[in-house]
Amino acid sequence: MIRALPVMLALAALLVGGQAQALNYIETPALADDVAAGRLPPIAERVPAEPAIETGRPGQPGGELRVLIGSARDTRLLAIIGYARLMAYTPSYDLVPDMLAGVDQKEQRIYTLHLRPGHRWSDGEPFTAEDFRYWWEDVANNEMLSPTGPPVALLREGEKPKVEVLDPLTVRYSWSAPMPTFLALLANASPITIYRPAHYLKQFHAKYADKAKLAALVADAHARNWAQLHNRMDNPVRNDNPDLPTLDPWVLKTKPPSERFVFERNPFYYRVDREGRQLPYIDRINAAVADSKIIPVKVGAGEADLQSRYLRFDNYTFLKAGEARNGYRVRLWKTGYGSQLALYPNLNVNDPVWRSLLRDVRFRRALSLAIDRHEINNVVYYGLAHEGQDTMLPGSPLYDEHNSTAWAAYDPAGARRLLDELGLTKRNGEGIRLLPDGRPLQIVVETAGTVAEEGDVLELIRDNWREVGIKLFAKPLQIELMHNRIFGGETMMSIDRGLENGLANAEMSPAVLAPTLQASWQWPRWGQYFETHGMSGEAPDMPMATELMNLARDWMNASDFEARQSIWKRMLAIRADRVLTIGLVAEVPQPVVVSDQLRNVPEQGIYNFDPGAFFGVYKPDRFWFVPEAPADQPS
Amino acid sequence: MNEQRAPLAHFVSDEPFEPNRVEPMSAAQERYYRASQWRMMWWKLRRHRVAVVSGAILALLYLSTLVSEILAPYGAHSRHTDFIFAPPQQVHLFDQGRFVGPFVYGFDYRLDMDNLKRVYTPNPKLVQPIRFLCLGDAYDFWGLIPGRFHLVCPTENGTLFLLGTDRLGRDMLSRVIYGTRISLTIGLIGISISFTLGIVIGGLAGYYGGWVDAITQRVIEIIRSFPELPLWMALSAALPVTWSPLWVYFGITLILGLLDWTGLARAVRSKFLALREEDFATAAVLMGASTRRVIFRHLLPSFLSHLIASATVSIPSMILGETALSFLGLGLRSPITSWGVLLNEAQNINVVALYPWLMLPVIPVFTVVLAFNFFGDGLRDAADPYR
Amino acid sequence: MFGYTVHRLLVMIPTLLAISLIVFIIIQLPPGDYLSTYMAELQAQGEAVNPQKLAYLREMYGLDRPAWQQYLYWVWGLLHGDMGYSFAYNLPVTQVVGDRLWLTFIVSVTCILFTWVVAFPIGIYSATHQYSWSDYGLTFLGFVGLATPNFLLALVMLYLANTWLGISIGGLMDDRFIDAPWSLAKFWSVLAHLWIPVIVIGTSGTAGMIRRLRANLLDELQKQYVVTARAKGLSPFRTLMKYPLRMSLNPFIADIGTLLPHVISGSAIVSVVLSLPTTGPMLLDALRAQDMYLAGSFLMCMALLTVLGVFLSDLALAALDPRIRLGAGSAK
Repeated sequence: MIRALPVMLALAALLVGGQAQALNYIETPALADDVAAGRLPPIAERVPAEPAIETGRPGQPGGELRVLIGSARDTRLLAIIGYARLMAYTPSYDLVPDMLAGVDQKEQRIYTLHLRPGHRWSDGEPFTAEDFRYWWEDVANNEMLSPTGPPVALLREGEKPKVEVLDPLTVRYSWSAPMPTFLALLANASPITIYRPAHYLKQFHAKYADKAKLAALVADAHARNWAQLHNRMDNPVRNDNPDLPTLDPWVLKTKPPSERFVFERNPFYYRVDREGRQLPYIDRINAAVADSKIIPVKVGAGEADLQSRYLRFDNYTFLKAGEARNGYRVRLWKTGYGSQLALYPNLNVNDPVWRSLLRDVRFRRALSLAIDRHEINNVVYYGLAHEGQDTMLPGSPLYDEHNSTAWAAYDPAGARRLLDELGLTKRNGEGIRLLPDGRPLQIVVETAGTVAEEGDVLELIRDNWREVGIKLFAKPLQIELMHNRIFGGETMMSIDRGLENGLANAEMSPAVLAPTLQASWQWPRWGQYFETHGMSGEAPDMPMATELMNLARDWMNASDFEARQSIWKRMLAIRADRVLTIGLVAEVPQPVVVSDQLRNVPEQGIYNFDPGAFFGVYKPDRFWFVPEAPADQPS
Repeated sequence: MNEQRAPLAHFVSDEPFEPNRVEPMSAAQERYYRASQWRMMWWKLRRHRVAVVSGAILALLYLSTLVSEILAPYGAHSRHTDFIFAPPQQVHLFDQGRFVGPFVYGFDYRLDMDNLKRVYTPNPKLVQPIRFLCLGDAYDFWGLIPGRFHLVCPTENGTLFLLGTDRLGRDMLSRVIYGTRISLTIGLIGISISFTLGIVIGGLAGYYGGWVDAITQRVIEIIRSFPELPLWMALSAALPVTWSPLWVYFGITLILGLLDWTGLARAVRSKFLALREEDFATAAVLMGASTRRVIFRHLLPSFLSHLIASATVSIPSMILGETALSFLGLGLRSPITSWGVLLNEAQNINVVALYPWLMLPVIPVFTVVLAFNFFGDGLRDAADPYR
Repeated sequence: MFGYTVHRLLVMIPTLLAISLIVFIIIQLPPGDYLSTYMAELQAQGEAVNPQKLAYLREMYGLDRPAWQQYLYWVWGLLHGDMGYSFAYNLPVTQVVGDRLWLTFIVSVTCILFTWVVAFPIGIYSATHQYSWSDYGLTFLGFVGLATPNFLLALVMLYLANTWLGISIGGLMDDRFIDAPWSLAKFWSVLAHLWIPVIVIGTSGTAGMIRRLRANLLDELQKQYVVTARAKGLSPFRTLMKYPLRMSLNPFIADIGTLLPHVISGSAIVSVVLSLPTTGPMLLDALRAQDMYLAGSFLMCMALLTVLGVFLSDLALAALDPRIRLGAGSAK
């Protein structure tokens, strides 16, 4: 909890500092040869002077973890799952310093970050404040490398932070107005990395590199200019350059392109366990590329040790059948979306008749009441999901049953009543109601197929809405086409996942509940207006939207926890009452396949991207293999 | 050595030759000589047993598309949420030694929560006789006339899933029957497009020769040297978004037809090149026939039979093309039911491992493709009746 | 002969140009471009996209230029042997295609050989024993491969091979051999994985070949010279092999040129299902993502190979068949 942060951090620093001296390090068996040959320094020098200590039950080092990825681009997943962050979320979604030794903050606008002394990059070079400075001055603010300037998320209403290096282990970021989202940004699944390996990247930077050498490198790589080369080499998120030093627990060793990517342990990783062994336990990760449709088949044949990506709920029965034969077990975690699927009425649609209809809250409520969520739950999810609106889940401290059940009961009579109230009483020969201008009330729901069950769910909803006189027409589209149509106001309704984070607490930013993003399917133009600072899009012209924007702004300026919490509650209440998106079911079970030899993987968990980083919050660096070899692969 | 052998029987008559006498022909011979080209083709085709059987099957299937609604036990979109992934029900005639008539055993349903599996066991106590010529699910005949008459229906409150059900509880047999309508007609429409294009372009190239021919050759070469996949993808992506499924369907048949005419055009062209020099063509030209008349009245009929035969064989490639497009996500989609859509839905490991009856739509595809090929073979063999 | 060759070579140039234009149009036809697809992908994962960054990336990738400029830029590069840079893989096209091409070659050649080995005997037998039950039976077998949709067959075989034979799922070899040097074990692994795609892809080609061989052979067998040869006492086998078979092979030589796109196309879908590291899935992905250089340059290479193939087979045919050499069909 951030309000207690300074105290906690000081305490933590004390503990860590105190313990470090008391630890007797145990050398990693896999690296023993390299140490003996002098290629690597001994463990006491590889680990930071004040390492992060994993307090859970210790395990054994060794082993190779097999995972399956859908394409070479998925190497970025390792950076996400590795979850080596300056600040990190715990499994209960508290925000704590992770790579940082500590953080001081003042008035929520001045943050002083303390690095761990002796923390090194994966190639042995020291990780210091210079890496932060390099990024800020020479990358984020360099005209050629970042023509659009530093990431928008770091700007407080257009104002850049002031970045000062106080000493080689301390950096300070300050704004003139409160910036409560800063630390959370550092803990994102796909983070804003505010540091770079300066010692490596300088060779690609015009300011530091030898002109002739740089020109040769640029020519070699067929790059347009040094900026393009630099950006290609520097892709920590994409994680496709084996030469780029990293702080992640596993380092990429295979140069693309390849069908198999090998990641090996980072010898300079900053975490150790209680008994003095350097993490990660697992020596190597073997990521094989396979077509996403065939991955469930491969997993069912025992070809993965830890897998959840590309596994869907309907694969559970098949995977379960292969358990005994192939040495794994399927666990069912839960997804963390506010709703697995939600309908997004486009309040910015161009058609005036539809616009006024969709903006009328009674219409949205009617649509929501007409849906039989229980049937959807039973037919598609065996009754295991949680029916309700697209709001916070029962696991969140902000959960309110009233919000979840508002307008979510199955009440076709009530829906009909509301529709009659709206004046949509005329019907055509098929029994479908007519719009005021005579057109049949046919809703075209556009879908990009991101969630596999969409088609089935829409079939069920089609029958539900037919009962109350509304025709549904599902239109599958390519994803970018759908986005363009939504932004252009041609789409009247779309279906996609619900809230990304259904387990938020009051410390997290509620911006997504207000029109702040263009990529919100229910109000793209208002979101675009906010994102572009008024240069394009439309200003919100509904009182509800303005109220949400004001609340979001208040949250940024709020000074204490209570204020933030009440703002969140108010925004969630508005969302539920106004049925801004029509949620269906949530907490859909997610299969997670775990090899019988793998330990420390939680039995129950939440599988979510942000926060959660899929397995990140559960710290995969502490997963370990029981010493026998993993189950033999099939011939 | 040279024994006297009996004189060989010979068939030359000793009677004096009368030039004006008419040779009487038997009725059979008369029929043979007076028969038109088409009739002779039909006689020859009749002797090719497999082709006849194939033709009969195809005719039956096409006729069935006229009355799909009546043949299917259920409506096109009827769902049964209580019978999701139900396995096929067997038809029995005897219940414990007693003759009951065609019936099925009802299901007992249990949800296995450990494996998340729906378990259906036939219950011998629930005898559900099949009704014939009955009133069942409502439908709109060809989308126009509401009706409820079915050829077969389940018992009241019973089930009749002869091919099992899918993941929304829809009867597979009904879906296959409705799919026949779309899949078979796609082939027909597509073939008529490519047929027309092939004849016109190939004919012009063959008849005029010279630079018309040269350009056509190049164009054909260009189209043929293209792998089909990118063309399919590009053309399907170019179909306007706002089109209704029916228009998309026509668009797809157009695409399939457009990419298929080259083979036919080449055949037509080479035939034309050859036949152009024949005497009867020269005679027609000398007698003042217009180009059009020469082509359509004289040249074309002499190899029309060959064309029909090759066209018949192209239809299955259209049907298969439709299934391939569905696989790529470019073809038809729910709520339209076609064999391609059904096969695409069967294209995942859950089906192969757990619910294999969903792969049964492969059988009609298989049968139709084979039938068309054998029938086309028979047609081609019959096409040259004088051999 | 020489004049014919020169004429054909000259004609190849406008053909290739036309093909390059078509390829370019095909890739650009779907609305949007690589970046819009990429951005949409990111958004689907909840990453907010800065519209200004979009503009910057567009400039960096050269997608801000008008279409005709992009086209000329690309063709100019091709003429210099530069196949361009793949957006999706962040690598030069040659590197992405490199290894895959070898594997595609192996799979394709094996499929073609399989097709011929199966189709020839069946075709010959069918022609010589027309209308017999064995003729129907064998033709039926030949058609099984054609009539069953490839993608479903591939998946079923994959699953059965794993449950019955323990072969690992998908790919061309076991995972552990992927970067390993060649060894006997690796070779066996490749064979064990190869037979599924070869059977699935190969069988769909056998039907066509059987029918064509049968038809051509039947045509030849009716001719006078065959009857004469038989009447003169030549053994049936020699009668068959020495003359009619050679004549009926004409169309096959003619078709070799167009074999390549067919096999590559036909194998693409199966390769996707079986997750083979060949060019098929790569091409599909590139087309979907509108990765212009990867898809475009690859298609151009294939088109070039095809046009060359057609040219060479026409040359072979002209050398063999004097009727073609002297130009059949007089001008009107």
